[in-house]
Amino acid sequence: MTMNKLTFERPIIQRINAGLPSKYGMPRHLEPLSHIDGVSIESLLQEFGSPLFILSEQTIRKTYREAYRAFSSRYPKVQFSWSYKTNYLNAVCNIFHQEGAWAEVVSGFEFQKALANGVPGELILFNGPDKSTEDLRIAIQHQSLIHIDHFDELYEIIHLSKEMEERPKVAIRVNLDTGIYPLWDRFGFNFENGEAWDAINRIMTSQKLDLVGLHTHIGTYMLSTDAYRIAATKLASLAVKLERKYGHILQYIDMGGGFASKNTLKGAYYPGTDTAPSFDDFAEAITSALMTSDIKPDHLPMLILETGRALIDDAGYLAGTVLATKRLSDGRRATILDAGVNLLFTSFWYDHDVRPVAPISDQSEDTTIFGPLCMNIDVIRSNMMFPLLKKGDRFVVRRVGAYNMTQWMQFITFRPAVILLDKEGNSHVIRKRENLETLNSQELIPDHLQKFDL
Amino acid sequence: MLKLKSNVAISESGFVFDAGAGDSFSLNATGLEIVQLIQAGKDFPEILQILSEKYEVDPESFERYFYDFVATLKQMNLIEQDGED
Repeated sequence: MTMNKLTFERPIIQRINAGLPSKYGMPRHLEPLSHIDGVSIESLLQEFGSPLFILSEQTIRKTYREAYRAFSSRYPKVQFSWSYKTNYLNAVCNIFHQEGAWAEVVSGFEFQKALANGVPGELILFNGPDKSTEDLRIAIQHQSLIHIDHFDELYEIIHLSKEMEERPKVAIRVNLDTGIYPLWDRFGFNFENGEAWDAINRIMTSQKLDLVGLHTHIGTYMLSTDAYRIAATKLASLAVKLERKYGHILQYIDMGGGFASKNTLKGAYYPGTDTAPSFDDFAEAITSALMTSDIKPDHLPMLILETGRALIDDAGYLAGTVLATKRLSDGRRATILDAGVNLLFTSFWYDHDVRPVAPISDQSEDTTIFGPLCMNIDVIRSNMMFPLLKKGDRFVVRRVGAYNMTQWMQFITFRPAVILLDKEGNSHVIRKRENLETLNSQELIPDHLQKFDL
Repeated sequence: MLKLKSNVAISESGFVFDAGAGDSFSLNATGLEIVQLIQAGKDFPEILQILSEKYEVDPESFERYFYDFVATLKQMNLIEQDGED
């Protein structure tokens, strides 16, 4: 007969610190996250390998509908345009297109991607300072909406319109002071110094271009809704001036994106879940500014939004495996994961929400979480209260859907697979795990370097 | 032999007070058991024997956890540094 032994919990001792990080206190205990949309993370890791990006289709659609409702319940004409750079995996883009979003692109590559996905050219917004002559030609051919960034581009488009005998559809990007810092004045034409109005006048007097809209993008991870109110008010004043002087009515005002997601910025006092304004907050600020402007009610332009981060961040997860734990010289615990800043670029500015997948221990310890790279900067969290995971235990990072799957690096190790969980909980590989062949297929070795003797 | 500093007081519930430094600490249940065994003058093989009879733990893992735990106690200045080497 064997005696039933008790479960062993590793011994720990913790210093008791007086005072709490905020007057409301912070939970000291991290709840494990074992399932996404009812699917076991452990089983996904076993099937598709570790690490693994996991996207929830359900969350994407839910978030999109919530955002759309916030604006469409306040304003007559609302159109979202999916920001390709935030996550341009085709399956992700197509979810947004199925929901009704157009495409917002910032390069010839993204433009081609949107076309290949089947987005009609006239529903592609072409932003950014990086548009080659060839890109512009293709965009003009497709009657896409070109958002002009600077005078060189404006003159080039006027030139192309003559050469191609086409009437390009354009908007100008306007940068303006909304009281936030930093001022994003490197993109577009400035409002306060009259440059934006100047650009509008040149477009109107050229008579070669069809000025269909005004665009702004005031910043990223904006926690202030008031900045959007100010921006919308200023753009509306340009629209009013334009109608007064030329009798020209704009088809749309594009307020860009930049809405904060629920991630917590490094150094923030409160978690992002408490501080990020809701879609309703942003919608209220923008739509009320347009509705109360001097634009005639039946001339109200369509309101376009290019929200990326806030629509996709929550839907993305990065799951993986603990490689090792060790102690640092000052006694702090260090946990090394098989995913680092190579896959989680956003850990440079977020305190990511890292969780154990299985309940391990009620005890947690001040821990530094490192990635697998042989580099000192490969830190996912410099210090967080984290349970004592051991080699082989699984972890999951929440809210990684924005930017990580476009800014990831192929460095030291391969990029992992990305899977999408559909509404029924079925998993679909939407990007295959890279392998040696993926990388070597791009490389060429000159003849004299083919062989060596060691 | 490992020896706790004389000015360290440990309660039955795992509350640790270092009267010398004024710091307080908390131990989990296994941590408390180990500290009590250290106080009772037991060495590593004895502690291993006692705990592996009571708990589901293999000697290899226990050894790792034990030395890691003791390293933390040293880091927190709760162990007498003299005469232990």
